[in-house]
Amino acid sequence: MPPRDERLPSNTFSYFFREASRRMWVSKRTSFVAIAMIAISLLIVGGFLLVAENLGRAVAQAEGKSRVNIYLDIDATPQQTAAVDAWLASHSDFTDRRFVSKQVALARFKQYFANLSNIAGQLDENPFPASFECDVNPNVAQSPRFAAQAAELRAISGVEQVQFDWEWVETLRKLIRLVNLAGLVAGGVLAVAAAFTIANVIRLTMMLYREEIAIMRLVGATERMIRGPFLVEGLLQGLIGAALSIVLLLAAFLAGRHFLAPRNSLLWGFLFNGFLPWQKLLSLLAGGMLAGYLGSWISVRESGEEV
Amino acid sequence: MLLSPLTLKCESVIHFYHVTKRFDQYSTALHDITFHIEKGEFVFLTGASGAGKSTLLKLILRQMQPTEGQVVVGGRNLKAMKRSHLPAFRREIGMVFQDFKLIERMTVFENLSFILTVLGLPPKEHKKRAYGALRAVSLHHKMNSYPLQLSGGEQQRVAIARALINDPLVIVADEPTGNLDPDLTQEIIQIFNEANLRGSTVLIATHDRELIEQSGRRVITLDHGRITDEKAPVTQRAPRVEPLFGIGG
Repeated sequence: MPPRDERLPSNTFSYFFREASRRMWVSKRTSFVAIAMIAISLLIVGGFLLVAENLGRAVAQAEGKSRVNIYLDIDATPQQTAAVDAWLASHSDFTDRRFVSKQVALARFKQYFANLSNIAGQLDENPFPASFECDVNPNVAQSPRFAAQAAELRAISGVEQVQFDWEWVETLRKLIRLVNLAGLVAGGVLAVAAAFTIANVIRLTMMLYREEIAIMRLVGATERMIRGPFLVEGLLQGLIGAALSIVLLLAAFLAGRHFLAPRNSLLWGFLFNGFLPWQKLLSLLAGGMLAGYLGSWISVRESGEEV
Repeated sequence: MLLSPLTLKCESVIHFYHVTKRFDQYSTALHDITFHIEKGEFVFLTGASGAGKSTLLKLILRQMQPTEGQVVVGGRNLKAMKRSHLPAFRREIGMVFQDFKLIERMTVFENLSFILTVLGLPPKEHKKRAYGALRAVSLHHKMNSYPLQLSGGEQQRVAIARALINDPLVIVADEPTGNLDPDLTQEIIQIFNEANLRGSTVLIATHDRELIEQSGRRVITLDHGRITDEKAPVTQRAPRVEPLFGIGG
């Protein structure tokens, strides 16, 4: 508990906010620089978070299904196809069996990769193999018994490849970890830079108000009372910067979804699936406030006290 | 060596005990000053420019520390006082600075309101109290003016209103009538008299010999950092009266 002299009067917090807002308004340009720095930093962090979030959603969708794709040779005969079909029908772990013909595979490619559909149309022959898609219980999918069955399936004549969803899900997970890490590193470095920008802005403001601070000390204002508005100023700059970054990110997301992502495109469909959840938006706001507070705390701490 | 409380007179509000203030080896502002001012006293501090008056006042407010000796104000030894206790101590001193030290970006009302915020009074009481303090210095019609819109004398009176708004334990004023005409000077001295009657101890530093002689109060004269003369008061202290602004000390 602070000593009695350092305790703040009840009306002090409104005074802090009033003073902090007024000082920000008086020093509009320097405040803008600080706010812009925070906004840019958090925009980058938010961008990485958004990509990771949407990749995560794709992973979550895929995990629920645990699909197996059995690709046939490009020139597989109807007899070979029938043999594979019969083998799948006789193994109860492979459920919901669906045959995807070469024509359907080509149509899907054109649908998912709309930008490349012209190239696909120019090919002399259909390069996509026919395949079977099966669902597998996720608990069974990684059992040794299932691995043995997959090996047996690979050995059947006319089977080119047996591909499991969980393999690319694992790859996607690694990618998400990488994106998150890159976001954290880039955002962290920028957030530190933003905190120091705020520290410099607050230092300038304190220089501007040094006579006033001296008078406040002489008339008995506590250090908390003197420093409070500067700390709140940093906090507000961080909050406004973070809010601005969220608005910019949302605008970029909506614009991207509207202008970049053709309907049904697989890649863009993944990336623009949805915006950040409220928990992550709150984290961005908290991050901005923390960076702002830290910056002002650095300056205020450096400012020292009198005799 | 710290001053033992047993060596203090119990009624002393300001006590200087062998105080020397040296800025460097060639410049000594005060030489071995010892005096005390009792509770409820009204004292003038006089001397030529450079005699050490302002330094002495700064030591009372603990704007600086003595090189040697002890300064005790309101029973607190300022050398031993923790920094965290300094704001509360200063709130008990009503200081009128020679250069006023008003906050220029704040209106007259806001300058006074700020003190009340520091004191922890709710905002709804600020207007009433600020108005009372400004009325006492005949400036209640200038509540919304900025310091730079006022004359030197008016700024002086705002500074006095700010110092008196809390009925402080000690009022310390550095040349408070320096910018005022004779009529206003008497008016301001009357305000200090009233504060003194309400129980505040008053110490005024001034060059104004006429003012000092008319007052009949105790006078401490400084010359080149030494006390060269001390005159006892010729008038008796009046009994305590109720606070002027309705503010408890």
